[in-house]
Amino acid sequence: MRMACIALMLAATLPACAQETTVRIHSARPFGYFVGDLIHARIDVSAPADAVLSRASLPSPGPLSGSLDLRDIKLSETSENGARLWRLDLTYQNFYVALDARDIEVPGFELSISTAIGAQAVAVPAWRIGVSPLREVAPQKQEQATDYLRPDGSSAFVDEATLRNLAFGAGAGALLALALVARDRAWPPFQQRQARVFSALAREISRRRGAGDAHFAASIQSVHRALDRANGAILLSGDLPEFLRRRPEFEPLQVDFERFFETSKQLFFGGESSKDDYAAEQLAQFVSRLARQERAG
Amino acid sequence: MNETLHVVQKLSDWRARALEFEQEIQKAVIGQARVVRLVTICIFARGHVLIEGDVGVGKTTLLRSLSRALGGDFARVEGTVDMMPSDILYHTYLGDDGRPRVDPSELLRHAETLPVFFFNEINRARPQVHSLLLRLMAERSVSAFNRVHHFPYLNVFADRNMVEREETFELPAAARDRFFMEILMAAPDDEEARRRLVFDPAFHDTEMLLERVSSGTLDYRETPAVARAIQTHVRSSEALERYVLNLWRALVDPSSAGVSPPDVDLDSLVKGGASPRGLAALVRAARVRAWLEGRDYLIPEDVRDVFIEVMAHRIFVDPIHALRSDDIVKRLCRAAFDATPVP
Repeated sequence: MRMACIALMLAATLPACAQETTVRIHSARPFGYFVGDLIHARIDVSAPADAVLSRASLPSPGPLSGSLDLRDIKLSETSENGARLWRLDLTYQNFYVALDARDIEVPGFELSISTAIGAQAVAVPAWRIGVSPLREVAPQKQEQATDYLRPDGSSAFVDEATLRNLAFGAGAGALLALALVARDRAWPPFQQRQARVFSALAREISRRRGAGDAHFAASIQSVHRALDRANGAILLSGDLPEFLRRRPEFEPLQVDFERFFETSKQLFFGGESSKDDYAAEQLAQFVSRLARQERAG
Repeated sequence: MNETLHVVQKLSDWRARALEFEQEIQKAVIGQARVVRLVTICIFARGHVLIEGDVGVGKTTLLRSLSRALGGDFARVEGTVDMMPSDILYHTYLGDDGRPRVDPSELLRHAETLPVFFFNEINRARPQVHSLLLRLMAERSVSAFNRVHHFPYLNVFADRNMVEREETFELPAAARDRFFMEILMAAPDDEEARRRLVFDPAFHDTEMLLERVSSGTLDYRETPAVARAIQTHVRSSEALERYVLNLWRALVDPSSAGVSPPDVDLDSLVKGGASPRGLAALVRAARVRAWLEGRDYLIPEDVRDVFIEVMAHRIFVDPIHALRSDDIVKRLCRAAFDATPVP
């Protein structure tokens, strides 16, 4: 922060601890303020470590005189070298319409602090700043009264391209989000065709062929799982009529279905192998027929 | 070997008679093939039955024809709010000489020859009565007149009044778990059966109707031995056993098994009841069904066919769902089946 210390280290006139309580006023510059300018000042008050500042004694924002307002005040409290340090950031605003360069007074105020020996007043002294005029006292003669006025400032050129790009970007983002939601909810055009479970199964079964009878039971289980997926729930042989009613494309395979379920029943629950010669070959044929019907449907 | 062949032959004969028994019952009770099949399963699994159904759908007719086809006696009591256990066991009256007398009740008199005991509106009776019934069902015996009376062939059939809530006592969990099945008996859906029930005068006179059922198609005294033979004879494969255990897990801990019935918080849904006894009952019922279907091994359809009737009334859900627990439990069961792969 480019803050030059103007002034002053003032010893507050405190009898008991004069050497311990100090007030320092810093200002960005002590001169060159026009009407309407904000004047930033920082006041550091240093006091013994046990001192407590009475917040009620801080100046209140508001008019200080006919031409000076206190706009804002901020207080921060720290410790420095074993002493208590209060830092007041004050913002004044100058309304003095100066006709020549001159000093005006920023009024002082008193702060109350409490220490071990009792309440004390710390005076922040008045300080001065230099204000300057905006115009000459006797300007050159003009013909028109309006000529005394400064011309209006030119309008700043606003670059629309950035805003347009932002709008297009936001629009594209919204469309992308809509597409993602539509995909998630399977809205058109994301209504995908039903997954071809039997085509995938046919590939799996053909991979397993030749792996021996040990994989026959696993293959039958895979067919069951694929049928469950096609049915939307576990499909038992008793559910077959209902399943074929809902998926009429598989109706021509009813006999194959019944043979498959009978084999599965014998293999997994009857405790004996199939009575007919239903084996890997027949199972593969059944699955490829299922896949064909699935594609046709 | 000869012994096994003998058992197989005997079971085959008995299956033919069981199917004939079903046909006999259906002469009096029409349009209720599934109810008759479930009741037959209960007879051959030696299980007690809760019957749920509106008034006038033919529950009493069904049970009386059952008792007639079994060739045994029939006893019936009506549950009332002031009924005490002694009312079931003792018959008190004034004798000809004006003195009070206490004789055995109908239930005790027929103890040795009673295959069907119908407790109507069981939830009107108080918990003391439920307690007596619990012992009667679990041990097939009661104590009266200072001695123990045995009911070797007894099957209890109880009806719950589901219409009124006032002055009723919900069956405790332990008592419900003692019932092998809960069977829903509704009016038949079949138009022809409905027409005959309403317009055919034969169905208006219960006594005449019962005459149609041949007496003693099955001998109730042989059912315990046949029931034992069925349970030892019908096999269950490893895949089937794994399936039943997976179903059990899906019921007790639905979320871990991937079961997701809609609108229900699964974390605290099942509070109890899917007990080992329940699962054992499920397998017993499924074995009898397999036998009636002519198989000597279990398949998943056997389990699924009897599952709701055997399990639903034993599953107790969080009290927050109490008023619609029947529906939730049935949905849970169906979801468990949909999520449990087989084989």
